[in-house]
Amino acid sequence: MNKGTGVGTGPTAAAAAAAAQKQKTMMQRVETDIAVIVDNFTQLVNVAQVNDPPVRNSQESFMMEMRAARMVQAADSLLKLVSELKQTAIFSGFASLNDHVEQRTTEFNQQAERTDRMLARIGEEAAASLKELESHYYSSAQRTPDTA
Amino acid sequence: MDGNLEISLDKLPIKRLESIEENGVERYPSDSSYDEKRVSLIRRIDFAWALEDDEERERKKRQKKSSKDASATWQWQSMVENLQLAHQELSVIIDLINTVDANDAVTVAGMTRPKPLPNEVLSDLAASAATKLQCYRQLGKYFKQSAKALEEQIAREARFYGALIRLQQNWKVKRQRLASAASSSEGFIIDLFDNSLYDSAAMCRPSSLSTIRVDHDSAGMLAINLPPNSCRSLHFGFLGVHSADIPKELGKIRTRGSVEQCTREREKESVSDDEYIKETHTLLREVHQSIFDDQVFEMLNREAFNQSIGVNVTGIRENYLQLSIGQGNTLFISLVPSSKGDDQDAANTQDSESAIVPLDSFDNVKLEEGKHGTSKRKWGFPNRTSCEIYLQQIVHEHAFVKAKDKPNLSGTRVSGQSGKDGPGLLGHFCLSLAHRIFSNRVLVELENVVCRVPYLHLMTHPTWHSQTSSWTIFLKVPQSILHAESQSLKSDFQNMKDAVKSQFRTKVVVNDDRINVEGDGAPNVVSLFKRSSENISSVNKYECDLADLPVIILLQAASQVICWLHEEALMVGIKTNRDFLCLTFELEQGDTVSLVAHVNPEDIKGGITWWLVMEDGSTDDWKLQMDMYDGASEYRKFLGHLTLDVLYSTLMDLVSLCGGGRNH
Repeated sequence: MNKGTGVGTGPTAAAAAAAAQKQKTMMQRVETDIAVIVDNFTQLVNVAQVNDPPVRNSQESFMMEMRAARMVQAADSLLKLVSELKQTAIFSGFASLNDHVEQRTTEFNQQAERTDRMLARIGEEAAASLKELESHYYSSAQRTPDTA
Repeated sequence: MDGNLEISLDKLPIKRLESIEENGVERYPSDSSYDEKRVSLIRRIDFAWALEDDEERERKKRQKKSSKDASATWQWQSMVENLQLAHQELSVIIDLINTVDANDAVTVAGMTRPKPLPNEVLSDLAASAATKLQCYRQLGKYFKQSAKALEEQIAREARFYGALIRLQQNWKVKRQRLASAASSSEGFIIDLFDNSLYDSAAMCRPSSLSTIRVDHDSAGMLAINLPPNSCRSLHFGFLGVHSADIPKELGKIRTRGSVEQCTREREKESVSDDEYIKETHTLLREVHQSIFDDQVFEMLNREAFNQSIGVNVTGIRENYLQLSIGQGNTLFISLVPSSKGDDQDAANTQDSESAIVPLDSFDNVKLEEGKHGTSKRKWGFPNRTSCEIYLQQIVHEHAFVKAKDKPNLSGTRVSGQSGKDGPGLLGHFCLSLAHRIFSNRVLVELENVVCRVPYLHLMTHPTWHSQTSSWTIFLKVPQSILHAESQSLKSDFQNMKDAVKSQFRTKVVVNDDRINVEGDGAPNVVSLFKRSSENISSVNKYECDLADLPVIILLQAASQVICWLHEEALMVGIKTNRDFLCLTFELEQGDTVSLVAHVNPEDIKGGITWWLVMEDGSTDDWKLQMDMYDGASEYRKFLGHLTLDVLYSTLMDLVSLCGGGRNH
């Protein structure tokens, strides 16, 4: 994120602090989610031991389902975080956006100038062609009606 | 159990004499204790039937085994049998427990778990392991399904954000804060409003299409859905020439319709993401153009209510403006909604034919040449598409470009289109169109004249000004005459002089609706009253009407021919008198012979005819008697339409006649 890296280059101190806080929050979320995934997966592996009482096995199966659901939930949370990061990249990449806008503006201005020059050239060529055609037309005998 | 029910009868619970001793003592059986009674009751339960059944079952099993060794056995048969045995045993135990419960005499003292057999331990362990394995397998399936769903979600988001990033390269994408959480659309909008003109008095109302919501379609790709007929386009035409109901041509509607159709049919996987993004760009461009057309129309509406030069509103209604631009011409500007492209193919084809032809007005002229009646009103209308483009261009240039170039410090924005100082944009547009129509008519008249006179050439001078047009009519002396003259002359100075006079020019300039004619070769006006012409070529400038233009041009050309003949005669040493359209040679005894030009714009064979008029010295009347048209008079002869070569030959004949007469 540009806001997080460019401290003194443009954004204000409040915006930089907000960006840092947001970054910290996201990192905490990432760590939390990954910790949840790891813990639950560890528990799943530990529960692999077969116990004598069948009742305990049923209890463990319910627990495994719960931990699996928690893992999936944590993965979904990570994906949402990735979406947020993408949105932040889209809407906060001001430097790249501005560069791109300037580049496009320059391209369009150049294209406009080229178009104007081309139009002027077309006008000049049309005028020259018109002059030549008029000269040929009025010099030819076809344009005069038959006079008896 | 068997069908036969065995019944056992208990003895009556009375004391029965067991024995009598010799001494007469009666002995009764001792009373059994409670425990003994219970045990006896338990012993009365007959398990023989169960044992018999077991023995019979084993016997049958052996028989079956022996009989069915060759055939295939069901793999679960043994398990079924074991389960049945277990069920029977459980039934027995349950019956026993129920009997014990029902009978207060017998109670269960305690139960001990039987010592498990080795195979039972292993089978329990195997069952537990299988159960756990099954749990893990279910977990695995769950994880796979979740992974697949998450992958699909990742792919959908990648497509969506990839497309959004690509759209952001060209459009302003904003994030919309939604009140409801967990919405599937993430709340993105595309802002098409140009806020640089927000402070402008001309455009302060953003269009309803300025913000477009970005949605998801069923495939996860971003989708832009517009309400039908939300886009409108500018429609321009001339009243009486173009219909106000014909929708916009040039395939714009077809483009919009096809793009909307593509967005509706987005489910087809054959359309790649690149093509879809291109179509989305096209759709957004169409919407942007529609917004621009709305702004143009709004600006024109505002200017129509301000009195300015060139603006004369004759009709107004919703999304429709009608203006009169003078000379009986009326135009209309309207906003029409984009209709379905498929239904307008015929109209588009018809309109495209008329749109492609650049000078359809001139085609009408060629077809209707000679008819100068009511068809005159249809002449000279410029191409409708070019007018639309011109209107959009001047609005864009004067409203958008100038607004962005001006500094934002000034509080009041001077648009430069106030009616007090001059025509605004609309006035300028109307004046330009009026001039264009008028200049086309002028050109038609000029061409009609020039085409009929072989020695006149017309040349167009593009002025690149919207309200000024210019032409030059050249009267060129043929090359052969020049070459013949150059052989008789000795000095280069004379050659140069002849080269300068080898052509006469008449310049026609149209400013708005004023025709200015400027030509050389006419005699000095003052000398006309003195009945003598000074040998000075002067340039005449005057204005005229459209109706008088052909006559003026023909008069100018005829006077230039007379001027040229006069110079030729002077060059060979013959003094002649030149009037406006008459060249007079003096013969002996005061007789004169004159070569007179007669112009007639209605003459389709040529506008200039020539007469030869002879006057004797006693005649004081210089005027031609035009009622003798056939030239049969002894004083005048009709020569007809003559080329410059023939005129030169005629001149030489007259010169020789003058010279021969003098010699005599």
